Amino acid sequence: MEEDKNKKENPLKVNRRHFFSQLSVGIGSLALGSLLIPDLFKGREDNRAAMPLGIPHFAPKAKRVIYLFQAGAPSQLESFDYKPTLRKRMGEDLPESIRNGQRLTGMTANQDKFPLMPPAVNFRQYGQSGTWISDYFPHIAKIADDITVVRSMHTEAINHDPAITFFQTGSQISGRPSMGSWMSYGLGSENKNLPSFVVLTSRGKGNSQGLYSKLWSSGFLDSKHQGVLLRSGKDPVLYLNDPDGISRSEKRDLLNEVSELNKLHHVETGDDEIESRIAQYEMAYRMQMSVPDVMDISKEPESIIKLYGEDCQVPGTYAANALQARRLAENGVRFIQLYHQGWDQHGNLPDEMAGQAKDVDQASAALVMDLKQRGMLEDTLVVWGGEFGRGNYCQGKFDPANYGRDHHPRAFSIWMAGGGIKPGLNYGQTDEFGYNVVENPVHINDFHATLMHAMGLDHEQLTYKYQGRRFRLTDVAGNVVKDLLA
Amino acid sequence: MVSWLGHWHPLVLHFPIVLLLLALFLGLTGRRVPPPLLVVAVLSALVTAITGFFLGKETVVRGSLLVWHQWLGAAVAFVSVVWYALSNMGLGRGIFAKVWQVVLLGLIALTGHYGGMLTHGEDFLALPIDPKQREIPDNPVIYGDVVARILNDKCISCHNPNKQKGELLMTDRDALLKGGESGTAIVPGKPGESEMVKRLHLPMDNDGHMPPEGKTPLTDTEIGILERWIALGASDTLRLSDLKEPEPLIGLVKSLMVPDPLDKWAEFPKVADTTLLRLSSDYLTINRMAANAEALSVDVYLPPEYDPQPVVNLKRVAENIVELDLSGIPIGSEEIDFIATCTHLEWLELDKTPIGDDAIEKLADLKQLGLLKVYQTSIGDKSLSVFKRLPNLKKLYLWDTDVTVGALEKFKGEAPHMLVEDGIDPEIEAFFIAGDTTVIE
Repeated sequence: MEEDKNKKENPLKVNRRHFFSQLSVGIGSLALGSLLIPDLFKGREDNRAAMPLGIPHFAPKAKRVIYLFQAGAPSQLESFDYKPTLRKRMGEDLPESIRNGQRLTGMTANQDKFPLMPPAVNFRQYGQSGTWISDYFPHIAKIADDITVVRSMHTEAINHDPAITFFQTGSQISGRPSMGSWMSYGLGSENKNLPSFVVLTSRGKGNSQGLYSKLWSSGFLDSKHQGVLLRSGKDPVLYLNDPDGISRSEKRDLLNEVSELNKLHHVETGDDEIESRIAQYEMAYRMQMSVPDVMDISKEPESIIKLYGEDCQVPGTYAANALQARRLAENGVRFIQLYHQGWDQHGNLPDEMAGQAKDVDQASAALVMDLKQRGMLEDTLVVWGGEFGRGNYCQGKFDPANYGRDHHPRAFSIWMAGGGIKPGLNYGQTDEFGYNVVENPVHINDFHATLMHAMGLDHEQLTYKYQGRRFRLTDVAGNVVKDLLA
Repeated sequence: MVSWLGHWHPLVLHFPIVLLLLALFLGLTGRRVPPPLLVVAVLSALVTAITGFFLGKETVVRGSLLVWHQWLGAAVAFVSVVWYALSNMGLGRGIFAKVWQVVLLGLIALTGHYGGMLTHGEDFLALPIDPKQREIPDNPVIYGDVVARILNDKCISCHNPNKQKGELLMTDRDALLKGGESGTAIVPGKPGESEMVKRLHLPMDNDGHMPPEGKTPLTDTEIGILERWIALGASDTLRLSDLKEPEPLIGLVKSLMVPDPLDKWAEFPKVADTTLLRLSSDYLTINRMAANAEALSVDVYLPPEYDPQPVVNLKRVAENIVELDLSGIPIGSEEIDFIATCTHLEWLELDKTPIGDDAIEKLADLKQLGLLKVYQTSIGDKSLSVFKRLPNLKKLYLWDTDVTVGALEKFKGEAPHMLVEDGIDPEIEAFFIAGDTTVIE
């Protein structure tokens, strides 16, 4: 693919390497072709490498993903991973046998003690699945049998930026394409009037970390797979509306002319990005009609507004974005990425976490219920979770009513619902301290592989050759967690 | 030495078959049988019979197939020797010789057949079984309906009473526990220590790998099932419903019960990508369900000015459409008539459309339909009787319709296996509407 691009860009600069590689392929394939009946010995699976893009490798369970990213890393110990031992051994030092050399961030590395801190919130069991959920999340508790909680997630990164970059792109170092871009690249678009990867952000009152557009970048993939950030308020997409005094037909004429010029330039240079740009202009033109329609929630009935919470009428809130996410999903957007900032509780955890939970609890649960009643949970995968977990020991002054927790990569919890994932499952376990995974660990790469599998993609087959090597979202790792699949 | 000679039997046996048949053909058509041909044929028959007896010595337990094959083989050798003697005495062309030749022909056929059954399994030549009969029943017995089926497909051909390779029988659970040359085949509760599982995991080029090279290997799912079945104690009464999530065996068994959709779609007529390109537009997306599949999924979105034509034009590929999303589209009778021709439709979204009972009535022949969305429409109680007639309908989304509560309750009672989604539970909805979200104690 890259070679084709080079040749198009520099038609006369066929270098020695190209010449010989083409020559050898030519002779080799002639010889082979005459000797073998192609695919005589191959099963169906083996043909995937040659499969066209934009089509799932096998029949998918999920057609789209709504990713409710809780940026800053919510504490698993105050949400979904109930550890009564922390109360029994409150204040005791974290045993070295449990910490086992785990590196710490600069924020707690210099603490001389690591006293175990129990959660300041009660837990109860819900549903037939008996899922433990804290009182911070009373609404999510109501959908306990629809969701699957994975308590055995683990990552390598211990700081926000590498961790969230890892989660979004499969690498701690920036520059790789985002998950949503890979899905767009592998599956194409369901609705040509909207981007296939859309991003919505919101921010709670808790301690926040930055969000950068690199998280939804298409990296080395074609830029049409990049996530489109929809802003809150009157102009969801900047510069989408026509300037004053320009009519839609004038805009059409303008686009036609510009497109002609661009096509000329494309013939001259062969740069595929020009074609992308032409397509993006056309997409923007259609989005002028489709986006206002999708974003307009005025026709949503009262009962739906109440279900998501009154907040959903306030643009820019998590609840508004959750409702928006359902509307985007209905309109065929493949990957809808929400971020809610403010989950970085190094201090004042009980207060801040209660506030953050209040922001997202009702709307997250409402979204799952709303999708369920529309039959969309059948083919939409919802994921809720942060970039890592939080430590089981107290950060700062020891006060069970007002404490903090530092970052923790070795174990954390997320939940998923719908889209080919078993409902009502409790998957994976941590030790009694909630520090290490003791059963069914799920690494970020495994998570990505599983997500792709649900979407009908083989994570080992969806590759893009760039700078001489084939890249994957899961790089050279990752196993599909079959136990999670319905 | 004797057993080494025996191992030549599978090679040598082809000579007498071909040579004797050739000689028989000449003899029976009244031509002269060249003496050298007959000599070589008879000698090869003798060698084959002798090596056969040597090979038979290796098998300790002899099934009836083996016994029959051995003595029929001996008979072939004997009869062919007699034929040679007859022709030497100048009686090679009489009617008596002809009868003798017919007998020999029959013996060769029978011996070959029994030999074939020994190597390939008794039902190798049986007609393919109707896939319907092979379906795993609902709530199967794990051993009887699943494990035994896997063993039957992949192992029995070499481990049956007639051909007990490695002295191992795999025809029933007790036989597995009893084991063979290498000891017991399964250790209940311990898949890692079970000889059978160990051999399944050996590298393909290891001689101990089972099934051996050339035979169909087990799939990952099948291996997984055998392992979990052993891990759970290798019971012969355990049923699927006895298992509790997250036991992986549940998913593994279920994956065998649900046919691969790609197989289901394999018979669809071919559609060219160019056809799909021509039929799609900015507001109508056609996707293949999977690479190389002829099954299509169609999504229609509302353009500024709606025209039914692009949808109706899809009738060229009507048989290929398995998923159709028309939610929110102001469809009329033209579109409904088109939908009625999509006989392979499995998934249909008609929510938020202006349809009524008459439209649903037209869809009564969609035999494959498994999921139907008709919420926020004005269909009424009459449609329920159509839904009842759809044999594959498993999921039905209807709320905010004209269906009455009483009729719906009755319908749910009559179709207990159908998931009928009639909106969010009012109790939960009330909890959400109640407002305040956080309880801190």
